[in-house]
Amino acid sequence: MSQLLNEIEWGEPLLAPDIDPAWEAELKRRGGNGSEVDRRVAPSPWLREACLGINTGRVCAISAHLFNVSALVTAQENACRYCYGASRAYMQMLGYSESFIRRIEQDVHLSDLNEKERALVAFCRNLARSRPRPARAELDALLRLGYTREAAHEIALWIALGCFYNRVSTLIAIPPERGFEGWVEAKRRWFALAGPWMRFQAARRRRGKIDPAASEAALRAGVYGPVLAPLAGLPGAMIMKSALDGAFASNVLSRGTKALMFAIVARSLDCRTSETEARRLLAAEGFSGAEIEKSLASLESARVPAIEARLLPWVRETVHFQTAQIQRRTRELAAAMGNAAVLEAIGVAALANATVRLAMLVE
Amino acid sequence: MNAAAAAWLLGGALLIACACAWAWLRRAREAESLFAETRRKLEHLQREFERFAPPDLIEQLTDGRGDVAPQRRQVTMLFADLRGFTSMCDRLDPGLTVSILNDYFRHMSGAIGRHHGHITELVGDGLLALFGALESNPWQCRDAVLAALDMRAALVAYNAELAAKSLPQLQFGIGIHCGEVIVGVMGAGELNKFTVTGDPINVASRVEGLTRDLGVDLLVTEEIRKALDTGFRLRPMAPVRVKGKPEPIQTYHVET
Repeated sequence: MSQLLNEIEWGEPLLAPDIDPAWEAELKRRGGNGSEVDRRVAPSPWLREACLGINTGRVCAISAHLFNVSALVTAQENACRYCYGASRAYMQMLGYSESFIRRIEQDVHLSDLNEKERALVAFCRNLARSRPRPARAELDALLRLGYTREAAHEIALWIALGCFYNRVSTLIAIPPERGFEGWVEAKRRWFALAGPWMRFQAARRRRGKIDPAASEAALRAGVYGPVLAPLAGLPGAMIMKSALDGAFASNVLSRGTKALMFAIVARSLDCRTSETEARRLLAAEGFSGAEIEKSLASLESARVPAIEARLLPWVRETVHFQTAQIQRRTRELAAAMGNAAVLEAIGVAALANATVRLAMLVE
Repeated sequence: MNAAAAAWLLGGALLIACACAWAWLRRAREAESLFAETRRKLEHLQREFERFAPPDLIEQLTDGRGDVAPQRRQVTMLFADLRGFTSMCDRLDPGLTVSILNDYFRHMSGAIGRHHGHITELVGDGLLALFGALESNPWQCRDAVLAALDMRAALVAYNAELAAKSLPQLQFGIGIHCGEVIVGVMGAGELNKFTVTGDPINVASRVEGLTRDLGVDLLVTEEIRKALDTGFRLRPMAPVRVKGKPEPIQTYHVET
């Protein structure tokens, strides 16, 4: 059963905020809210861009209402105290009633959710949980209910991006935005009145257009191109593409380690498409087929620098986890590797989980 | 109709509308509290059932996903049995015996859970743990051996606790084997359990029995050895014939 907000065990933050005035100004300029996440991922350029992109991202094929509901459900399924609390408070601020939010959380659907919305909630839970492994059939079920192909892909993309953001927050143990949560709670009556207007404004800000830069050719060109190609035109697709390209271009961790981390998550979720892509990346780094197989079977590799070796068994634990346990393991990792490497590893692990979940739907 | 009558009529209609809204709100609140109460009960039931079956299985059953239909799967089985515990039971107070056994199972369960396994059966002082039975696990053999090594370390720690209380120390034997088995909920009438059946489980049990004859605490079969990497130190034992197998089976003692 999915946990409720007060049931999630949450540890002390792994990383301190990194106050960089230039980045803070940039955040403000680009509409970011300077959240606890933004400050703690600031030392990693690609990771902070991805997090900012998710916070300010737009949708073109689904409504802001579906976006809000899917963000809440995904955060709850991933037992991310930070995102779950923030999504919940945000929905209250937009005038959603406490009973509506509670019914979504408790998976009790009454007349205020139609069949399409119920299917969306179930799809979010299945994809975020991936237990049992979701497949293309689940995406097709959304199409049968009347969602357009773009809408179904956009839903899947935002759940995957949600899984990414939830993992970044969980692995760092970002402290919950208690100030914001408390403020919304204190002004609930006011938000119940002003909520519809705020919801309208928020929906307007969230509304995007087809992104010409996210063409199929452009998406197919980079890392994990075949997985991204079906997302052509969606405004969120470039967030995923930039994150993948940025993560593999970064030199904090070796490229071979990162590709192996993707391959391990792919094997863990039994996703052939993702594993094939990771093998292609590993082959480009000089790994032979036998070496890849041996590394995947043993979660070890002689080609991985010694300091990064412990990332291979750890990344497997990020697929399905108990929050307190994975935070403890990540803390041990940070003590051994240092903050810069562990921040990068958290980003790569979160991205691998998001990418493989997306890839499972195109198989 | 004069103005006074119209006002009365309007007032009456408003009053009825308010009464209906109030009744509707009250029923909605009642329904919500009923749902909350049902959820609390379901959650309590789920937590209680987790004492008897793996949490993932309970989750599947409560979600009504129907994924526990019998199926063939590649599973790794770990049998562990305490040595000389039956004779120890005769000497110790029953309450103390149960307390020692429960603490032992708690330590072992922790070690198994840390490596993605779950205990499916406790029979007397023995246990059966499965790896990869509920969902595909490409690292199940490695997980089972790591769990066994963790169990060995946990037993050392637990024995230190027992020694500090001047209580007798425990020794165990562990046998690990893998193979394709049928997994599902099996049983009759009111007694059902999630378990596995097939020849590999018999082999795993026989291998655990061999630990006694060969004087070691942890044995794995050739199938497990093939799935392991070079990071484990394995010592080959002399092939031994076991009941139900025409050919002697090759086992390995896992040293580290």
